[in-house]
Amino acid sequence: MNRRVFLLGAGGLAACARDPRPRLNVYNWSTYVAPETIPGFEAEFGVRVRYATYESNEEMLAKVLGGNSGWDVVFPTHSRIEAMRQYGLLAPLRRDWLPGLANLDPRFRSPAWDPALEWTVPYMWNGTGIAYNRTFQPAPQRWADLWDPRLKGRLTMLDDPEDMLGACLKKLGLSFSATDPAELRNAEREAVAQKPLLRAYLNAEVRDQLVSGDVLAAQLWSTTAQQAIAAAPNVAFTYPAEGFPFYCDCAAILRESRRTRLAHQFLDYLLRPQVSAQIVEATKTATANGAAQDLLPESVRRNPTLYPPPEVFARGEWPHTLPPAAQRLRDRIWTEIKSA
Amino acid sequence: MNLRSWFLFPARLWMAAFFAAPFAIVLAYSFLARGPLGGVEQPWALENYRRLFDPLYLEILLRSFLVAGAATAVCLVLAFPAALFIARASRHKNLYLQLVMLPFWTSFLVRTYAWIFLLRETGLINTALQAVGIIHTPLPLLYNTGAVLLGLVYGYLPFMVLPIYATLERLDPSLVEAAADLGARPVSTVFRVILPLTKPGIVAGSILVFIPCLGAYLTPDLLGGGRTVLVGNLVQNQFTSARDWPFGSAVSIGLMAVVTVCLWVFLRRESEPLA
Amino acid sequence: MKRWLAAYAVAFYAFLHLPLATLAVFSFNSSRFTVWEGFSLDWYRAIFRDPQIVEGTWNSIVIALWATAISTVIGTLCAYGLWKRGSRLLTGSLYLSLVTPEIVTGISLLALYQWAFRWLHWQLGLYTVVLAHVAFSIAYVVIVVSARLRTVSPALEEAAMDLGANEWQAFWYVTLPALLPGIVAAALLAVTVSFDDYVITSMVAGVDSETLPMVIYAMARRGASPVINAISALITVVFGVLILISERVREI
Repeated sequence: MNRRVFLLGAGGLAACARDPRPRLNVYNWSTYVAPETIPGFEAEFGVRVRYATYESNEEMLAKVLGGNSGWDVVFPTHSRIEAMRQYGLLAPLRRDWLPGLANLDPRFRSPAWDPALEWTVPYMWNGTGIAYNRTFQPAPQRWADLWDPRLKGRLTMLDDPEDMLGACLKKLGLSFSATDPAELRNAEREAVAQKPLLRAYLNAEVRDQLVSGDVLAAQLWSTTAQQAIAAAPNVAFTYPAEGFPFYCDCAAILRESRRTRLAHQFLDYLLRPQVSAQIVEATKTATANGAAQDLLPESVRRNPTLYPPPEVFARGEWPHTLPPAAQRLRDRIWTEIKSA
Repeated sequence: MNLRSWFLFPARLWMAAFFAAPFAIVLAYSFLARGPLGGVEQPWALENYRRLFDPLYLEILLRSFLVAGAATAVCLVLAFPAALFIARASRHKNLYLQLVMLPFWTSFLVRTYAWIFLLRETGLINTALQAVGIIHTPLPLLYNTGAVLLGLVYGYLPFMVLPIYATLERLDPSLVEAAADLGARPVSTVFRVILPLTKPGIVAGSILVFIPCLGAYLTPDLLGGGRTVLVGNLVQNQFTSARDWPFGSAVSIGLMAVVTVCLWVFLRRESEPLA
Repeated sequence: MKRWLAAYAVAFYAFLHLPLATLAVFSFNSSRFTVWEGFSLDWYRAIFRDPQIVEGTWNSIVIALWATAISTVIGTLCAYGLWKRGSRLLTGSLYLSLVTPEIVTGISLLALYQWAFRWLHWQLGLYTVVLAHVAFSIAYVVIVVSARLRTVSPALEEAAMDLGANEWQAFWYVTLPALLPGIVAAALLAVTVSFDDYVITSMVAGVDSETLPMVIYAMARRGASPVINAISALITVVFGVLILISERVREI
């Protein structure tokens, strides 16, 4: 089996230049599809999909800003969509080509960033919270608990200005997307006060250290936390009481694409319940597809980390793009915090 | 055109197309304003350069110079004996050289992660030391400046070894013999005969290490735990999460200006070992 | 003295290869995480099952070979030309290309390509990566070869020309052979720099030109995966074998 795949792959490479099938270029976050997803689409529609991945919105945006990147479908996070639309980067969606939209979870049928779903199709979503080791009692339930001196040297926060400052803002009872300079400076003070307790600012890399017990508490995304929980049962996750952000990665078609029909078919394919459920099973992410959720086993559907119950969901905020002045101030504050 | 002009032509062409032109673009960016998604837009202004002179950023620049300088010094001390060994080897010189390069054909990121694994509190080094009984509580080997230095030195060691080897290899062994005949002990020979003659290699290696170290961002980020900001992190941040390309461009231009001045001063005194 | 040097060399190589050895050991770990759980070849199998890795490796090799060949030639010629008579402009721009942070080089090259493509209607691809790699490799080659050139006496060429050789023959028959170890060292450096580059490559790579560092980076940023360890161990073994073979061939 492996050898055949390898040879096929090599042969595929060789035949690449002369492949007569239509092509679709998809640019997605890493580990966001199941191994069968793309080959399934290729087989059913008789096309070839060029699939590549990126690690951050900015990486993707740098490529597509020029308007001739070669990609057809991309997956921006919801907070970037408004600006992408204003820049004319997105192609409008034709709802009659997307019957699968009915499968979406009701909460995502008319989201704040795209109420009529004219430009994007919600794909996967996650939130930021606290992952912690159960041996640390009492268990952290609020952002404020991460300022506990007992955590010194065993605590990490995300290396992301939006999330890190956001946690400080929520601790103070302010909005996650605050723009007021005084509020931001107060948040900065909190961050600087916390810094001596921190081991480091880490993103997904902290997963291993949580599993091995090096780190007792970490600000972490729900998907990564779920991976840690699956590997070590004494790791737990909580959405803080003061509030927290949600992020939704949405599928969008670029205006520069000349294969909009095929792109729509791909988006509709992703909306199929079985396809979406398969992806979730492989990637352990939370899908915006309601019909797919129904296909998932009870334990996954009710997993509080990936699919928080309604009362927790209500405490979440959806960050949006900030005006340039606020963004500049935040950025400067981030540099100051890191240099402190 | 004489031979020299022909020889220089391809390099000139490449530099003009793929360095000067992009450099002009970066220069233009530094005078513009940020776009909401990244990218740049009007108006033209000196705003970014004014921001650069803020003490916060100057301190970052200074810190970067110190760290890069320390890394270069350590690299030099570590690389010189190794280069000497390879140059003096009677056989298998290329093999030894390639063995130096071998680790660097795997991904830089992967090697850095390997160091994280080794240096962590439950990592290999701490576990081994505790098992043997040398220490009883784990040493904080990671997420500090020391770890960053280690990572930088490790990452740029071949850049120091290769140029020094290239000059050492050419060294006339009769000079060393002469020194021995005149009564010099081996160590003394190294410092008073070999070292001065390998100056071009040392200078080349130092430049090849110091300058990229200034712009390094992955190593300080991963091994320093994101706790310090060096110039590389600052620039990287501007082009990614901060989405402030113009300011990032201005910082880069500032960095390049400072380095150019340093190099100019340094190389003039050293009577231009390179050109 | 020789014994001290040899002992030092052993310690030096141990230091260089320690992270690699660790990776190799843990590539056989059956657990995803860095606690040893048992011996397994799963991760090695996973490499060959993943077409992205196979293709990324192929692309990286092709790019590295092309970029090294071109940059070594251009860089050597340039170093020689500068040795004859300096050019402050060229030397300055070479140094500056070294000091530019990679992200800046990447973004500026991307901007350049996108601007050029407005007229040429081309797209990013393997060739844009090769062009970019040559651009940053030339400086390394020039510096290493120049260091070597400093040890070559101009008198040798003058002597050759007195004996009737023209400029080209003096270069080809007299100086170039003396330069060879320097050129080899420079080429090695260029291959390494090209094969390992992530930042610039990811910026200018096209739809079809994913390289191995890009694949590895994507995997690693999501939390270390043992597949990466397996890839690194494999690369080391493959290159190590190649090196040993070339050494044997040379001895024959």
